[in-house]
Amino acid sequence: MGVIAEQLSATFPLTYSEAIVAMGAAILGIAAGMLGALAVLQGRSLVGDALAHSALPGVAVAFIVTGAKDPASLLAGAILAGIVGAFMIVGIERTSRIRPDAAIGVVLSSFFALGIVLLTYISNTGGAQQAGLDTYLFGQAAGIVERDVEIMAVMAGGAALVVVAFFRIFKTVLFDRSFASSLGVPVKIVELATTALLVVAIVIGLRTVGAILMVAMLITPTVVARQFTNRLVWLLPVAALVGATVGITGALASSQAEVPTGPVIVLVGVSLAVLAILFAPGRGVAWRAATLARARRRENTSGVLVALETAMHHGAPPTPRELALASGRSARSVRRGLRDLSRAGLVQRDEGRVILNERGAAAAHAALESRRLWSAWLEHGWRLDLPDAREADPRDLRASLGDDAVDQLVVLEREATA
Amino acid sequence: MTTLFSDDVTIILTAGLVATACAILGVFLVLRRVALMGDAVSHAVLPGIVAVFLLTESRAPFPMIVGAALFAILCVLAIEWLRGTGLLRADAAIGLVFPALFALGVLGIHRYAGNIHLDLDSTIYGEIAFAPFRTVEIGGVLVAQSLIISGAVAIVNLALVVLLWKELKATTFDPEFSKSVGLNPTWVSRMLLVAVSITAVTAFESVGAILVVALLIVPAAAAYLLTDRLWAMVAIAVGIGWISAVVGYTGAVQADASIAGAMGVTAAVLFGVALIASPKYGLLARRIALHRRRRATRPVAAQEG
Repeated sequence: MGVIAEQLSATFPLTYSEAIVAMGAAILGIAAGMLGALAVLQGRSLVGDALAHSALPGVAVAFIVTGAKDPASLLAGAILAGIVGAFMIVGIERTSRIRPDAAIGVVLSSFFALGIVLLTYISNTGGAQQAGLDTYLFGQAAGIVERDVEIMAVMAGGAALVVVAFFRIFKTVLFDRSFASSLGVPVKIVELATTALLVVAIVIGLRTVGAILMVAMLITPTVVARQFTNRLVWLLPVAALVGATVGITGALASSQAEVPTGPVIVLVGVSLAVLAILFAPGRGVAWRAATLARARRRENTSGVLVALETAMHHGAPPTPRELALASGRSARSVRRGLRDLSRAGLVQRDEGRVILNERGAAAAHAALESRRLWSAWLEHGWRLDLPDAREADPRDLRASLGDDAVDQLVVLEREATA
Repeated sequence: MTTLFSDDVTIILTAGLVATACAILGVFLVLRRVALMGDAVSHAVLPGIVAVFLLTESRAPFPMIVGAALFAILCVLAIEWLRGTGLLRADAAIGLVFPALFALGVLGIHRYAGNIHLDLDSTIYGEIAFAPFRTVEIGGVLVAQSLIISGAVAIVNLALVVLLWKELKATTFDPEFSKSVGLNPTWVSRMLLVAVSITAVTAFESVGAILVVALLIVPAAAAYLLTDRLWAMVAIAVGIGWISAVVGYTGAVQADASIAGAMGVTAAVLFGVALIASPKYGLLARRIALHRRRRATRPVAAQEG
């Protein structure tokens, strides 16, 4: 570990201890991203919150028993307590009438209360020895030393190996529990393993992010990754990458500003998640809104075009006002449509009147034709004789359905009208 | 001038009143399956408290309540917005919003910890042990300020629940019916969560930001195991809250540990007892009932066979 850290501090403008912090944060991010995904995709991300809180009394008990701040034994205590917490959540849910949300809440607050009692007990009775146990609440990346990183690396590596080795099994159980059990997959054991892995991820993050905010570190990488991919094979590595980025950024920023690491990491991660939710290509809220606005605008323009063609057909070229009246559109939407049409060179203005030119007339006919085809598809589409399944796109039926289908449609429509 | 109560009694009364205020609301959180929204809201009030503290440089209760309620509403709306995008699950939405708000609060406290009388430890543990020291004079006797505040919140919550009893009951147990008679369950839920945030901010001083959750959820969940009647559930939850206050304080003083933590642990133990020994829904009772049913059906099955 030391060698890598020296390498890092030689390559990047980091001190040796900053390099250690960055490595610890990266390992945490990778573990939390990858293992958190398993819980988030099952809709059990808040179980992670409860388990993170229940790790706290584990740390305290381990300290009371061993009387020393050895990271290995403290983390072992945390793992044990986390697993006990997990069993209690499942036990309360399964054996009583308490619903999952209340079961999570009860375990979370009970363990945390116990942890607080033990921590205050330790700090009121122990001497200077105990100093620093409260970094487990909000995390303090600056306090991480080589030995911590070694332990974290071993745990994260082991967990990653398990996920890679049993990837297919995890995938099957994650997406279809009953299908998996019909295949003979031991679903309960797999779920137990998922929870155990979750506890491992939490324990890795305990020193850096702290028990209270760890849940966000489990969720954010998956939320970000989920906006960019639909496939689990990609989701896990992307989540790990996002986790590592968030971890390194937050840990370095917080140790420079000398504030608790957990809040900084959480704020970095959540901002990233909000950005992804807003702007992810294809899925993001802003992206979808822009696509919708473009589609509406296109519809409006084509509607104004058709209305103009109809008006020209009936007599003199209309003014925009007359066009609005005749087509039943608002003056604003007609103005907008006309602006788009004249930009495309389909209409001309003459003394306040709008004239469709030759190209415009052709475009209007094409638009009418496409509308007619679409209603023909809606009416007769089911009678088409096609060799395969095709998806119709109202914007371009010919391209999406194929020439053979459209020709059949035209014939069917003619028969119907005849 | 005389003080109205001794220090011990003041602390226990304050704790009991905080627990009462929490338990009354917690019952509805548990029944409406939004226990974790209560958790989220009580975390989310922290930045509100800190912001008001920084702006007004005082701990006056009213501005704090306003600040906290604003952030609670922000938290609820943010969670609803994230859910509405359909891009992530409801639980992930909760898990994104409240840690972010809580993190803001923690950073604010840490940044200005030197200037204001607010620190991370009191955020988490609360300072109920100091409750007797801040007093106000009422009618010639000194009464602890926190006692008055927590009493007021307990009364307000009680009044809220009594006045809206029908509405709460209908929207909790039959949201479809309540919609059909013109009650909006979403608005009732939001109002409940705002009440939770106000309770959380006043409880904040005495039991800390996180242990509020223990007093909200645990007594109510335990009461849910013990009864089927709503009013009985409220009464039992309040009772468990008071037992937690008394036993928790005594235990904490003896072990020299956090009073708020000890209250939470007591409530947890009581929940455990209810889980195992509840006469109707406890593990033991169910075991026995199952055993009896098996015994009763065995001869019938043999005869039929």
